[in-house]
Amino acid sequence: MNKKTPYILIMPIVLLGVLFIYGVINGIVQSFGYIPAFNLRDFTLDYYIEVIKSPAFLDSLKVTLHISLISSILAAVLGTILTAALVYTGHAEGKVLKVIKLAILIPHTIVALFSISILSQNGLLARLFYKIGLINVQSDFPLFLYTKNNLGIILGYLWKEVPFVAYFSLSLMSSINKTLGEAAENLGASRLKSFFHITLPLSMPAIGKAFLIILTFSFGAYDLPFLLGATVPKALPVQAHVEYIHPDLRHRPYAMAMNGLILLITWTMAGIYYLLSSRNRIKGDKHEGY
Amino acid sequence: MELEIKNISVSLSNKEILKSINLVVKDGEFISLLGASGCGKSTLLKTIAGIIKQREGSILLGGKVLDKVPPYKRKTVIVFQDFRLFPHMTIAENISFPLKMLGVNKSEYRKRAIELLKKVKLEGYEDRHVDEISGGQKQRIALARALAADPVVLLLDEPFSSLDVNLRKDMRELVQDLQKELKITTILVTHDQEEALTMSDRIAFMHNGEIQQYDSPENIFKNPINTIVADYFAEGTYVSGHIKDKRFISDFFSINANKDNGSYKCLIRPSALKISKTRDSQFKVVAKVYQGDNYLIKIHNTDGNLKLESILVDPVDIEVGDKVSIELDKDKLIFIPE
Repeated sequence: MNKKTPYILIMPIVLLGVLFIYGVINGIVQSFGYIPAFNLRDFTLDYYIEVIKSPAFLDSLKVTLHISLISSILAAVLGTILTAALVYTGHAEGKVLKVIKLAILIPHTIVALFSISILSQNGLLARLFYKIGLINVQSDFPLFLYTKNNLGIILGYLWKEVPFVAYFSLSLMSSINKTLGEAAENLGASRLKSFFHITLPLSMPAIGKAFLIILTFSFGAYDLPFLLGATVPKALPVQAHVEYIHPDLRHRPYAMAMNGLILLITWTMAGIYYLLSSRNRIKGDKHEGY
Repeated sequence: MELEIKNISVSLSNKEILKSINLVVKDGEFISLLGASGCGKSTLLKTIAGIIKQREGSILLGGKVLDKVPPYKRKTVIVFQDFRLFPHMTIAENISFPLKMLGVNKSEYRKRAIELLKKVKLEGYEDRHVDEISGGQKQRIALARALAADPVVLLLDEPFSSLDVNLRKDMRELVQDLQKELKITTILVTHDQEEALTMSDRIAFMHNGEIQQYDSPENIFKNPINTIVADYFAEGTYVSGHIKDKRFISDFFSINANKDNGSYKCLIRPSALKISKTRDSQFKVVAKVYQGDNYLIKIHNTDGNLKLESILVDPVDIEVGDKVSIELDKDKLIFIPE
């Protein structure tokens, strides 16, 4: 391997990074109303102010926070339960792990199609319930999709996020359980006590990171709310998309201002996570080596 | 409490690790499981603690069968080689963890933690965090935490191997003092023969998942049952021969030996060989190795088929190339049946 090889190997990721950063910067510049091609040349905060003041934005923000917080909290809890089940039944490696990976690999658009074919009033479950006489007509099947409670979107996220949390925290929890969990049991803690006093608290850094990743992802993701969400209020990324494809191209800065706000909120989430985790570190919570 | 291990076999990943182990540790006794890495000694320790399940056999504590007792109820507490202190807790919280699990109230378990810190000579460390103390201190905390669990059997899994030489000596003394004071039945796992010889009432020597010999330190050192045990304690030169009418006869020498008739190997350790400089001898010094307190002198006979070693405290007049006469100390010769 000559000296240039590492630089050549790193080029694809550098190029992707440059494209990504260029896109973000370009979007932010456009959000301040500067798009010379559309004859918009004045830098202004007006688009942000208008977006924030609009009732539709607040509704969209509420919907987005509702979807991302509920799906992420549920995914973190269920994912942790799944991880614990895998660790305590000795399945931290092997075939089960492959099934988990498979669930993560399936794209959200496919998950949306699954959801439609399973959960809609024309879907498999509705037909099954009708067939076995649990409901009189298929339209009696409860609405999961395109509703204001966003149940379909939340279930769609859980499909991928529960295995993601499990996969992300499995190796840490498994190694803690093998060493410190074993020590705790040897010192008189039952398996349950050992889990709640030792294994779970020490696995929290991985679970916390997985939670932050899925929270910020689901806050900014567009596909599931677009495919499974209610007509109004729309999730923030969907609203931004609507503005983006508005026939009047001069609406573009509104879309970009919404994207800017999504970026700001996700950065704030990451900042809060960092502050919370660094406060734990000061208390001596340095345990990620396990 | 007396611990009895009856016919224990353990397999891990389809590999037999322990083969029909039988062992009795008397109440308050300090024994060592000695052997090279991979011989199964740590597996035996974990089997006693219930962390590893045996394929067959039973473990009895005070006559009561432990096989179905879960690890957290056994009171067979391990001090691990890698300490395994809980990093999200203070020192006092670590030590009082076993008491907390028993439902003891906070003021009481903190008081006990402070008492135990005093026993391991770390007063005033109760509110420190695990990452603020040294390796030696961590080992003391691990010992204090194990004692807080009120163990019926204390299991020490190579507890000194990660410590430097001086700390190791202090820790050995501390463990011995505490064991004598508290009279806890104790099993030490070690690969260090000096540690086993100096600390234990009895030593169980393990090899390939089997106990080769279980005896007092003096007996196991002076009367090893086979060459594996003998070589682990101190290597030397083996001379084959046979004993007839209480006399060992070989191609090189014959000497009185209080053993039954039969074929034997005579082990000549350096300590059994005395040498002195002479003008005419068939033995010649081929190497002189400085060892701190003494010199190891390597000797060959003129035919080159007998290579011996001796230890000299004062080697002033003996140099490489000198001819030496040898004298065997018959009390230090070891006869192992072939």
